[in-house]
Amino acid sequence: MPEPELDNVKLRLEPFLSRLLKSASLEVRFQVLPGSGQIYVTGTPDIVVTFDGANSDLLLQRGGELLDALEHLCLEYLQLPSAERHRIAFDCQEYRALRLEELRLTAATAAESVERSGRPFALNPMNSRERRIIHLALQENPAVRTESEGIGPHRKVVIYPAQKNNRK
Amino acid sequence: MKELVEMIAKALVDIPEEVAVRAIEGEQSTVLELKVAPSDLGKVIGKQGRTARSIRTILGAAGMKLKRRFTLEILE
Repeated sequence: MPEPELDNVKLRLEPFLSRLLKSASLEVRFQVLPGSGQIYVTGTPDIVVTFDGANSDLLLQRGGELLDALEHLCLEYLQLPSAERHRIAFDCQEYRALRLEELRLTAATAAESVERSGRPFALNPMNSRERRIIHLALQENPAVRTESEGIGPHRKVVIYPAQKNNRK
Repeated sequence: MKELVEMIAKALVDIPEEVAVRAIEGEQSTVLELKVAPSDLGKVIGKQGRTARSIRTILGAAGMKLKRRFTLEILE
Protein backbone atom coordinates (compact mmCIF):
# COMPACT_ATOMS: atom_id res chain seq x y z
CA MET A 1 0.00 0.00 0.00
CA PRO A 2 1.39 3.42 -0.90
CA GLU A 3 1.97 5.60 2.15
CA PRO A 4 0.70 9.17 2.16
CA GLU A 5 4.14 10.73 2.32
CA LEU A 6 4.32 14.42 3.19
CA ASP A 7 6.19 15.62 0.10
CA ASN A 8 4.09 13.55 -2.20
CA VAL A 9 0.82 14.71 -0.63
CA LYS A 10 2.02 18.33 -0.66
CA LEU A 11 2.92 18.16 -4.32
CA ARG A 12 -0.47 16.82 -5.33
CA LEU A 13 -2.67 18.60 -2.85
CA GLU A 14 -1.37 22.18 -2.95
CA PRO A 15 -2.28 23.04 -6.57
CA PHE A 16 -5.69 21.37 -6.26
CA LEU A 17 -6.67 22.95 -2.96
CA SER A 18 -5.34 26.41 -3.96
CA ARG A 19 -7.42 26.37 -7.11
CA LEU A 20 -10.47 25.09 -5.28
CA LEU A 21 -10.31 27.85 -2.65
CA LYS A 22 -9.71 30.52 -5.26
CA SER A 23 -12.60 29.37 -7.47
CA ALA A 24 -14.87 29.41 -4.42
CA SER A 25 -13.71 32.98 -3.53
CA LEU A 26 -12.73 31.79 -0.06
CA GLU A 27 -10.10 33.96 1.56
CA VAL A 28 -8.22 31.33 3.50
CA ARG A 29 -4.64 30.18 3.45
CA PHE A 30 -3.49 26.68 4.21
CA GLN A 31 -0.34 24.82 5.12
CA VAL A 32 0.43 21.14 4.69
CA LEU A 33 2.42 20.14 7.78
CA PRO A 34 3.72 16.97 9.37
CA GLY A 35 1.47 15.84 12.23
CA SER A 36 2.69 17.39 15.47
CA GLY A 37 1.80 14.36 17.55
CA GLN A 38 -1.21 16.24 18.82
CA ILE A 39 -4.28 14.09 19.15
CA TYR A 40 -7.01 14.92 16.66
CA VAL A 41 -10.38 13.27 16.27
CA THR A 42 -8.80 10.80 13.90
CA GLY A 43 -5.97 9.75 16.18
CA THR A 44 -2.50 11.08 15.51
CA PRO A 45 -2.37 11.95 11.81
CA ASP A 46 0.93 12.00 9.94
CA ILE A 47 -0.10 15.01 7.88
CA VAL A 48 -2.17 17.99 8.98
CA VAL A 49 -3.61 20.62 6.66
CA THR A 50 -4.29 23.78 8.69
CA PHE A 51 -6.22 26.84 7.59
CA ASP A 52 -6.16 30.48 8.59
CA GLY A 53 -7.15 33.80 7.04
CA ALA A 54 -10.13 36.15 6.78
CA ASN A 55 -12.74 33.49 6.02
CA SER A 56 -11.49 30.77 8.33
CA ASP A 57 -14.53 31.19 10.59
CA LEU A 58 -16.69 30.05 7.69
CA LEU A 59 -14.89 26.70 7.80
CA LEU A 60 -16.07 25.99 11.33
CA GLN A 61 -19.72 26.98 10.99
CA ARG A 62 -22.35 24.29 11.57
CA GLY A 63 -20.03 21.80 13.21
CA GLY A 64 -17.12 22.35 10.84
CA GLU A 65 -19.23 21.48 7.81
CA LEU A 66 -17.07 23.34 5.29
CA LEU A 67 -13.82 22.05 6.82
CA ASP A 68 -15.17 18.50 6.53
CA ALA A 69 -16.31 19.13 2.94
CA LEU A 70 -12.83 20.34 1.91
CA GLU A 71 -11.24 17.40 3.73
CA HIS A 72 -13.54 14.92 2.02
CA LEU A 73 -12.99 16.31 -1.49
CA CYS A 74 -9.21 16.43 -1.03
CA LEU A 75 -9.07 12.86 0.30
CA GLU A 76 -11.20 11.71 -2.64
CA TYR A 77 -8.87 13.56 -4.98
CA LEU A 78 -5.79 11.93 -3.46
CA GLN A 79 -7.45 8.49 -3.86
CA LEU A 80 -5.88 7.06 -0.74
CA PRO A 81 -6.72 3.50 0.26
CA SER A 82 -9.35 3.72 2.99
CA ALA A 83 -6.94 2.46 5.67
CA GLU A 84 -4.63 5.43 4.94
CA ARG A 85 -7.25 8.16 4.97
CA HIS A 86 -7.12 8.72 8.73
CA ARG A 87 -3.45 9.66 8.41
CA ILE A 88 -4.40 13.04 6.94
CA ALA A 89 -6.49 15.54 8.91
CA PHE A 90 -7.75 19.03 8.13
CA ASP A 91 -7.82 21.53 10.97
CA CYS A 92 -8.51 25.16 11.72
CA GLN A 93 -8.01 27.05 14.99
CA GLU A 94 -7.44 23.79 16.92
CA TYR A 95 -11.01 22.78 16.13
CA ARG A 96 -10.27 19.05 15.97
CA ALA A 97 -8.65 18.95 19.39
CA LEU A 98 -11.52 20.93 20.96
CA ARG A 99 -14.06 18.72 19.26
CA LEU A 100 -12.28 15.61 20.52
CA GLU A 101 -12.64 16.79 24.13
CA GLU A 102 -16.27 17.71 23.50
CA LEU A 103 -17.03 14.27 22.02
CA ARG A 104 -15.38 12.44 24.93
CA LEU A 105 -17.38 14.51 27.39
CA THR A 106 -20.58 13.84 25.44
CA ALA A 107 -19.84 10.11 25.43
CA ALA A 108 -19.19 10.01 29.18
CA THR A 109 -22.30 12.04 30.04
CA ALA A 110 -24.55 10.00 27.76
CA ALA A 111 -23.15 6.71 29.10
CA GLU A 112 -23.86 7.81 32.66
CA SER A 113 -27.45 8.60 31.79
CA VAL A 114 -27.88 5.21 30.06
CA GLU A 115 -26.46 3.46 33.09
CA ARG A 116 -28.81 5.33 35.41
CA SER A 117 -31.98 4.99 33.34
CA GLY A 118 -31.31 1.58 31.81
CA ARG A 119 -32.59 3.01 28.53
CA PRO A 120 -30.73 3.43 25.20
CA PHE A 121 -29.65 6.92 24.23
CA ALA A 122 -29.12 8.13 20.66
CA LEU A 123 -26.49 10.80 20.06
CA ASN A 124 -26.72 13.39 17.27
CA PRO A 125 -25.72 12.29 13.76
CA MET A 126 -21.94 12.33 13.23
CA ASN A 127 -19.48 11.40 10.52
CA SER A 128 -17.44 8.22 10.79
CA ARG A 129 -14.40 9.90 12.31
CA GLU A 130 -16.48 11.34 15.12
CA ARG A 131 -18.48 8.15 15.68
CA ARG A 132 -15.21 6.30 16.03
CA ILE A 133 -14.23 8.60 18.90
CA ILE A 134 -17.46 7.77 20.73
CA HIS A 135 -17.02 4.01 20.23
CA LEU A 136 -13.43 4.19 21.45
CA ALA A 137 -14.31 6.41 24.41
CA LEU A 138 -16.84 3.85 25.68
CA GLN A 139 -15.02 0.69 24.63
CA GLU A 140 -13.72 0.04 28.15
CA ASN A 141 -16.96 0.98 29.89
CA PRO A 142 -18.53 -2.33 31.06
CA ALA A 143 -21.92 -0.73 31.73
CA VAL A 144 -22.74 0.15 28.13
CA ARG A 145 -22.27 -0.92 24.54
CA THR A 146 -22.39 1.29 21.44
CA GLU A 147 -23.74 0.81 17.94
CA SER A 148 -23.92 2.99 14.84
CA GLU A 149 -27.36 3.16 13.29
CA GLY A 150 -28.95 4.95 10.33
CA ILE A 151 -27.68 5.80 6.88
CA GLY A 152 -25.39 8.44 5.39
CA PRO A 153 -25.56 11.89 7.00
CA HIS A 154 -28.12 10.59 9.53
CA ARG A 155 -25.90 7.82 10.90
CA LYS A 156 -25.49 8.13 14.65
CA VAL A 157 -24.20 6.28 17.67
CA VAL A 158 -26.74 4.69 19.99
CA ILE A 159 -25.57 3.81 23.49
CA TYR A 160 -27.25 0.75 25.06
CA PRO A 161 -27.10 -0.69 28.57
CA ALA A 162 -24.59 -3.54 28.43
CA GLN A 163 -26.82 -6.29 29.85
CA LYS A 164 -28.76 -6.37 26.55
CA ASN A 165 -25.68 -8.09 25.18
CA ASN A 166 -26.14 -11.07 27.50
CA ARG A 167 -29.71 -11.68 26.44
CA LYS A 168 -28.70 -12.27 22.83
CA MET B 1 -18.83 29.04 -9.90
CA LYS B 2 -19.07 26.98 -13.06
CA GLU B 3 -15.25 26.71 -13.00
CA LEU B 4 -15.33 25.49 -9.41
CA VAL B 5 -17.70 22.60 -10.15
CA GLU B 6 -15.82 21.81 -13.34
CA MET B 7 -12.40 21.65 -11.69
CA ILE B 8 -13.61 19.52 -8.79
CA ALA B 9 -15.43 17.11 -11.11
CA LYS B 10 -12.48 16.84 -13.48
CA ALA B 11 -10.17 16.10 -10.56
CA LEU B 12 -12.36 13.25 -9.33
CA VAL B 13 -13.45 11.40 -12.47
CA ASP B 14 -11.65 8.88 -14.69
CA ILE B 15 -12.75 10.58 -17.93
CA PRO B 16 -12.28 14.36 -17.44
CA GLU B 17 -12.96 15.05 -21.13
CA GLU B 18 -16.59 14.10 -20.54
CA VAL B 19 -17.17 16.59 -17.74
CA ALA B 20 -19.51 19.39 -18.74
CA VAL B 21 -21.08 22.08 -16.58
CA ARG B 22 -23.89 24.37 -17.69
CA ALA B 23 -24.87 27.40 -15.65
CA ILE B 24 -28.49 28.49 -15.81
CA GLU B 25 -28.70 31.98 -14.37
CA GLY B 26 -31.85 33.05 -12.56
CA GLU B 27 -32.52 36.33 -10.84
CA GLN B 28 -31.07 35.45 -7.44
CA SER B 29 -29.85 31.96 -8.04
CA THR B 30 -27.83 29.91 -10.45
CA VAL B 31 -28.44 26.27 -11.25
CA LEU B 32 -25.29 24.40 -12.17
CA GLU B 33 -25.91 21.29 -14.23
CA LEU B 34 -23.09 18.78 -14.04
CA LYS B 35 -22.77 16.04 -16.61
CA VAL B 36 -20.14 13.29 -16.40
CA ALA B 37 -19.56 9.93 -18.10
CA PRO B 38 -22.10 7.39 -16.77
CA SER B 39 -19.23 5.32 -15.35
CA ASP B 40 -18.05 8.37 -13.36
CA LEU B 41 -21.39 9.18 -11.71
CA GLY B 42 -20.40 7.40 -8.51
CA LYS B 43 -17.21 9.43 -8.33
CA VAL B 44 -19.01 12.78 -8.22
CA ILE B 45 -21.84 11.55 -6.00
CA GLY B 46 -19.80 9.51 -3.54
CA LYS B 47 -20.87 7.02 -0.89
CA GLN B 48 -24.32 8.02 0.38
CA GLY B 49 -23.98 11.20 -1.65
CA ARG B 50 -21.14 12.53 0.49
CA THR B 51 -19.07 13.92 -2.38
CA ALA B 52 -22.05 15.70 -3.94
CA ARG B 53 -22.94 17.05 -0.50
CA SER B 54 -19.39 18.35 -0.02
CA ILE B 55 -19.50 20.18 -3.36
CA ARG B 56 -22.86 21.70 -2.36
CA THR B 57 -21.44 22.84 0.98
CA ILE B 58 -18.63 24.66 -0.81
CA LEU B 59 -21.11 26.21 -3.24
CA GLY B 60 -23.15 27.34 -0.24
CA ALA B 61 -20.16 29.06 1.35
CA ALA B 62 -19.17 30.71 -1.91
CA GLY B 63 -22.78 31.79 -2.42
CA MET B 64 -22.84 33.41 1.00
CA LYS B 65 -19.85 35.52 0.04
CA LEU B 66 -21.25 36.40 -3.38
CA LYS B 67 -24.82 36.84 -2.09
CA ARG B 68 -26.16 34.38 -4.59
CA ARG B 69 -27.69 30.91 -4.35
CA PHE B 70 -26.02 28.12 -6.27
CA THR B 71 -27.77 24.82 -6.81
CA LEU B 72 -25.91 21.76 -8.05
CA GLU B 73 -27.86 19.39 -10.24
CA ILE B 74 -26.07 16.19 -11.25
CA LEU B 75 -27.59 14.92 -14.49
CA GLU B 76 -27.98 11.15 -14.79
